[in-house]
Amino acid sequence: MSTLAVFRREWIGRRNTFLLALGLGCIYLVMISTDSGTQTPRDKATLILLGTSLLLPWAVAALFGATMVGRELEERRFGFLLNQPIRLGEIFFGKVAAGLAMAMAFGLLACLPSFLLGGLWRQLPLLEAGRLLGVGLAGCLVLLLLFHAVSIQLRSRSLWLVLDLAAWTAFGWGIRALTMKLISAGAFDGMLRLWLLLLVVVALGLGLAGYLAVAEGRADLQRGHRWVSATLAISLGVALLLGWAQSAWVLGHLPARPGIHAGTARVR
Amino acid sequence: MIITQATAVVDCGNLGVRYGRLQALEQVSFSVEPGQVYALLGRNGSGKTSLIRCLLGHQKPQTGRVDLFGQKVWSSRRALMQRVGVVSEEPDAPPLMTPRQLLKFCASLYPHWDETGSDERLRRFRVPLETPFGKLSRGQKAQLSLTLALGPGPELLVLDDPTLGLDAVARREVYDELLCELAERGTTVLIATHDLAGIEGIADRVGILQGGRLLVDASLEELKARYHKVSWAPFPGLQASDLAPYGPLRIRAGGLGGEAVLSRGDPRELLGAAGPDLRVQALPLEELFVTLVGSESEVAP
Repeated sequence: MSTLAVFRREWIGRRNTFLLALGLGCIYLVMISTDSGTQTPRDKATLILLGTSLLLPWAVAALFGATMVGRELEERRFGFLLNQPIRLGEIFFGKVAAGLAMAMAFGLLACLPSFLLGGLWRQLPLLEAGRLLGVGLAGCLVLLLLFHAVSIQLRSRSLWLVLDLAAWTAFGWGIRALTMKLISAGAFDGMLRLWLLLLVVVALGLGLAGYLAVAEGRADLQRGHRWVSATLAISLGVALLLGWAQSAWVLGHLPARPGIHAGTARVR
Repeated sequence: MIITQATAVVDCGNLGVRYGRLQALEQVSFSVEPGQVYALLGRNGSGKTSLIRCLLGHQKPQTGRVDLFGQKVWSSRRALMQRVGVVSEEPDAPPLMTPRQLLKFCASLYPHWDETGSDERLRRFRVPLETPFGKLSRGQKAQLSLTLALGPGPELLVLDDPTLGLDAVARREVYDELLCELAERGTTVLIATHDLAGIEGIADRVGILQGGRLLVDASLEELKARYHKVSWAPFPGLQASDLAPYGPLRIRAGGLGGEAVLSRGDPRELLGAAGPDLRVQALPLEELFVTLVGSESEVAP
């Protein structure tokens, strides 16, 4: 119930976003109906849909994540929610749900006119549309959580940023090393699975860090930053460890390649 | 029912808050009993806001404890907030929400909400219901915040400088509303304020913070009985040393007479020595505050 109230509050508080989406939708419509010689309205609608259906929701999710708690904390407005009898989890999940819904609604509102009027709805199979929606939603969630965490880290202006940078740098190097290892062994499927695994673990870590920033940090930005940093550092470490284990397993179960056989034979 | 420490509405013990090297609060202990109006006074940066943030479970103190209604506020924040109304120093409601939407939002979160009373209050304050919060005047924001805080019929009202930046009329309206609430429901109130004249007629007990420490924690009656202001016309009989037994906090003397703030005993005893030109009066809260924490607090010869 309270999650819903927080959700509604976020929507009411950012209702101008939808005007922007409608405005974009109208601009797209004008672009489609304007005669540009070679391209048909359907071509244009396809281009618009491909170009913006994912990018717009992702941009909105990133913006929402960067402001949903961090800005309120910085402007000392987060107390309004903390002063109400709402669970901290309800505040966090209400905001995340509102951000996701808003990002998706923004994308839909902006693309829907060109999608319908350009006739694309006849061409796009339901399964593809569902897949697009799924990818869009997953991307929105990861970006929203990432920008929420980064926003807390940057706005607190504390020295814990050094740990954050160190953790992300180490993580980047770790991914690079594991990826190179898999590529040199020709395990491209394994590489994709590695990235997926890392993405899932990091997304879980971001979610936990974001929740703890609210639940443990509350109105104290510095304390929130400490929780975000500690949780993320651990999550990145766990992700790398799991990634390393998965890579080792993949490399250990690779089908034998002729070159390797020859080398092995020579050693024997 | 026996009132014990456990039944205190607010109970802080050895509270300590530190920001890096800055000790914002140090060993602050006090309690507020049911029905009491506790005025928390202090200069800017004395630690009032940190104390209130700890009290409301917004911030975890490094040391000490904060209990509301006998429960730990950090771990039981949600349950406790059903019994607490808050007016923040800075109006903090979402700027795009209208008063009507804010009332609806808050009403949905509490088991009981005085809808009629809230509507009536907003009408009395002349707060427009359809204007976004961000476009209301400072006074209207404060009045709306007070209305939202009183809506659920709280047992404890925490007000962080509710009259900051308000004109005299808006300030009076806020205090009138507060007095009305106190008379009707006997709500316990903790109010941090700089408006010493305004709070003097309402407060039962006063806490004065200075440099993160609680300098004074006493009832207003005790303070009035303890601190006196004496003033005298020029005469040769009264010397500064005559005032020494009465704990002078400040003495100002000149050719036209003088005045002193005394912190001990009954200075009316001096009347015999100094004659009818000596005036003894209870110290107004504002003057006491300035004497205790102001930079001019000194004993001049």
